[in-house]
Amino acid sequence: MATETEQLESLVNRRYEHGFVTDIATESLPPGLDEDVVRAISARKNEPEWLLEWRLQAYRQWLEMEEPEWAHVHYPKIDYNAISYFAAPKSDEDRPKSLDEVDPKLLETYDKLGIPLHERARLAGVAVDAVFDSVSVATTFKEKLSEAGVIFCSFSEAVVEHPELVKKYLGSVVPRRDNFFAALNSAVFSDGSFVYIPKGVRCPMELSTYFRINAANTGQFERTLVVADEGSYVSYLEGCTAPMRDENQLHAAVVELVAMEDAEIKYSTVQNWYPGDEEGKGGIYNFVTKRGDCRGANSKISWTQVETGSAITWKYPSCLLRGANSVGEFYSVAVTNNLQQADTGTKMIHIGPNTSSTIVSKGISAGRAQQAYRGLVKVMPQAKGARNHTQCDSLLIGKDCGAHTFPYMEIRNPSAKVEHEATTSKISANQLFYCRQRGISEEDAVNMIVNGFCKEVFKELPMEFAVEAQALLNVSLEGAVG
Amino acid sequence: MSRLSDDKLREIVARFPTTRDEDWKYTDLSQARDIASRWLDEKPATAASALQDDAAAITSTIDAAWLVIADGVLQTTQAPDGVSVDRVDDIPVGDSALAEFNAALVRDGIRIRVSGQVERPIGLLLLDSAEQTSVAQAYVEVEFQNGASGELIEYHVSRGDADQYANTIVTLHVSDAAIASHVRIQDRGRNHLQTSKTRVSLGKDARFSSASFDLGGGMVRNDIDIDIANTGAEVSFDGLYLAGDGQHLDNHTRVDHRVGPATSRQEYRGILNGRCRCVWNGKAIVHEGADGTDADQANHNLLLSEKAEIDAKPELEIYTDDVKCSHGTTVGQLDETALFYLRTRGLDRTAAMQVLTHAFAAGLVSRVPVEAARGAVSALIERRLEELAVTIEEDPS
Repeated sequence: MATETEQLESLVNRRYEHGFVTDIATESLPPGLDEDVVRAISARKNEPEWLLEWRLQAYRQWLEMEEPEWAHVHYPKIDYNAISYFAAPKSDEDRPKSLDEVDPKLLETYDKLGIPLHERARLAGVAVDAVFDSVSVATTFKEKLSEAGVIFCSFSEAVVEHPELVKKYLGSVVPRRDNFFAALNSAVFSDGSFVYIPKGVRCPMELSTYFRINAANTGQFERTLVVADEGSYVSYLEGCTAPMRDENQLHAAVVELVAMEDAEIKYSTVQNWYPGDEEGKGGIYNFVTKRGDCRGANSKISWTQVETGSAITWKYPSCLLRGANSVGEFYSVAVTNNLQQADTGTKMIHIGPNTSSTIVSKGISAGRAQQAYRGLVKVMPQAKGARNHTQCDSLLIGKDCGAHTFPYMEIRNPSAKVEHEATTSKISANQLFYCRQRGISEEDAVNMIVNGFCKEVFKELPMEFAVEAQALLNVSLEGAVG
Repeated sequence: MSRLSDDKLREIVARFPTTRDEDWKYTDLSQARDIASRWLDEKPATAASALQDDAAAITSTIDAAWLVIADGVLQTTQAPDGVSVDRVDDIPVGDSALAEFNAALVRDGIRIRVSGQVERPIGLLLLDSAEQTSVAQAYVEVEFQNGASGELIEYHVSRGDADQYANTIVTLHVSDAAIASHVRIQDRGRNHLQTSKTRVSLGKDARFSSASFDLGGGMVRNDIDIDIANTGAEVSFDGLYLAGDGQHLDNHTRVDHRVGPATSRQEYRGILNGRCRCVWNGKAIVHEGADGTDADQANHNLLLSEKAEIDAKPELEIYTDDVKCSHGTTVGQLDETALFYLRTRGLDRTAAMQVLTHAFAAGLVSRVPVEAARGAVSALIERRLEELAVTIEEDPS
């Protein structure tokens, strides 16, 4: 066992591969938050008056709210006045028209991350709206998408070019005062992505945004809005890695999805922000509000997430199942190692008749990490025939980690069928012995077992993402069991 | 009678938990607070209890050595060999507003010690007359000494039409290698409220089996906290709640695994019909270093009415890796295929429903750890399911 342990430790102790800082001058606002900062952000983005007013109201509401403390995470109090609320790459004024115009240093960053933008975009058929810090710097495949009538652009662009759509849907799923972090985001959101799929259109390619936090001390406040009109389909990929640094960085994003009648949205996330070092120094605070609204009958929203990064993760991608027969899904793999903390899960609110939801959550906790699944399944009295199945499993690796489950079930209709199962265990000596006896190395055996543990979720990811997710998992944990 | 001034008591009542406390999210104590305040205003003189007949009728259903506490006063003490019963003079002040309220007002707190192998079950009947607005407190400590084994039946009943809020604290200590079996039957008036706290601590290689049945009560909140601080402990507890119109039955369980190896398993089942709400919150905490813990939670609910609500929350908090923990929760209704099968055999819908609800409860009844109480429990459940079936008939879902 001694060699095993050493081997395991060497794997667990692997350093964060994507840790580096891109040295691009950023034009940031000084730290601090007041109405002037909100006005400054809005002004910089040449926003219309109504949006400024919307932001200001959110700011005023935020001032009256209290930071939530119910999550199973611990961190020093955040000083919201020590954060700079806007950072944009230098080239903000004259934005690049094509990839050639993009700052080569930026492209280099993507190269380091193994995502050569143009290559990857062309080969994989993926349009990438790359968000570098807060302003979109490159958007590809626009023409092809616009042929299909799909709108896929940065949020700022959408505000200018499709104000009627933004005005109609912004805040309609996550209201400004939904929670502390959503209110903060509503006040100071810098940029993000906007997607609109018109009636009856199947989006011709997977849409993808690569997020990346760069400037030190800059919170990033992304806002994503995806609207799938009647009978349309879209698969949206969101992934992120962040450079290594010591200051904690706050990230409070809001994602809103709207699915009209017969529409389907598949939203996949690979989150690999800097988790902090072995001593828990640094790392991203990730407080995200994600919610999908199945507004129309027969609509479907599916969340798939692979969460391996961040010092603290606080997110609960949720589905409001309003339309009759609408479907909500949540597939999640969350990995925490070292001193990472995650409190994540989902909410499925059954409102319409014959709505169904599936929750599959796989948590892997190692090192001194603490991980919690927190979920709510709510069946309203009018939601006849509602159906939910929840499976949440935890795998513990090491003596000092924790895995917790807080599933809430609130059922108010007698025709509802709700099931919840959960298990917590470690990789058993028997499983390992069996594999080793078949000539499989310890490391491969653990890989196999962990991958098998997560398979149900990985198979929900688009193929290119699944590969990345597996690689990420291996970096984070590979063989970390004895 | 009170050990504290009225002002102090009012101050304690004001600190009762509210729905803003996460642990009390689904259970609103404002009615209990209201009864307590009214009682403090009126302070009616307590009449001598006239419940002898009721007590005799109830105790005759189960063969046990009965201790009867009527309206807070210890009436009879027939203690079998190996069992001592004393009044407690030094009731600990308690760590919550409810415990403080209890400590200030309880009349006869009792302490039971069990040593050696005690064959005859000890029955504890807590009977309240509730002829006028009142609060009732009960405080019971039971110690199963090293190597002892014994059975305890806790039976809560209330009569009367006036508002009543009962607040009970039971502490069970199962010492090293002792074996304790426990049955709790709650069949209070449908207009009465109760909060009860049961604390169980276990010694090395101690065994604790328990079954809890909530049949009556208007608003009932039970907390059972089990503390495993010694290795080799084995805990198994069940609960059944049968709720009809106007009832609110809340069961919160908590098991602290502080060391391992040790096992705990729990299974709660509920049948809900009519306008009612039930809550089940099971929490298992496996502390750092509690290796070899095996903890299992199960909760199954039958929801038979449009107006019934179940809020279930199986929680696990695990701080070490050498554990086996699982939980399963289901909410559903009677299987239409099974109903149909029974109807093809000539049973009407109500009878078929009764058969199926009975079967749903039967698993727990057959596990009642106190043999002597099994028959009485079974009869009580039968009666309650019949009552619930009436509502089923009116409200076919």
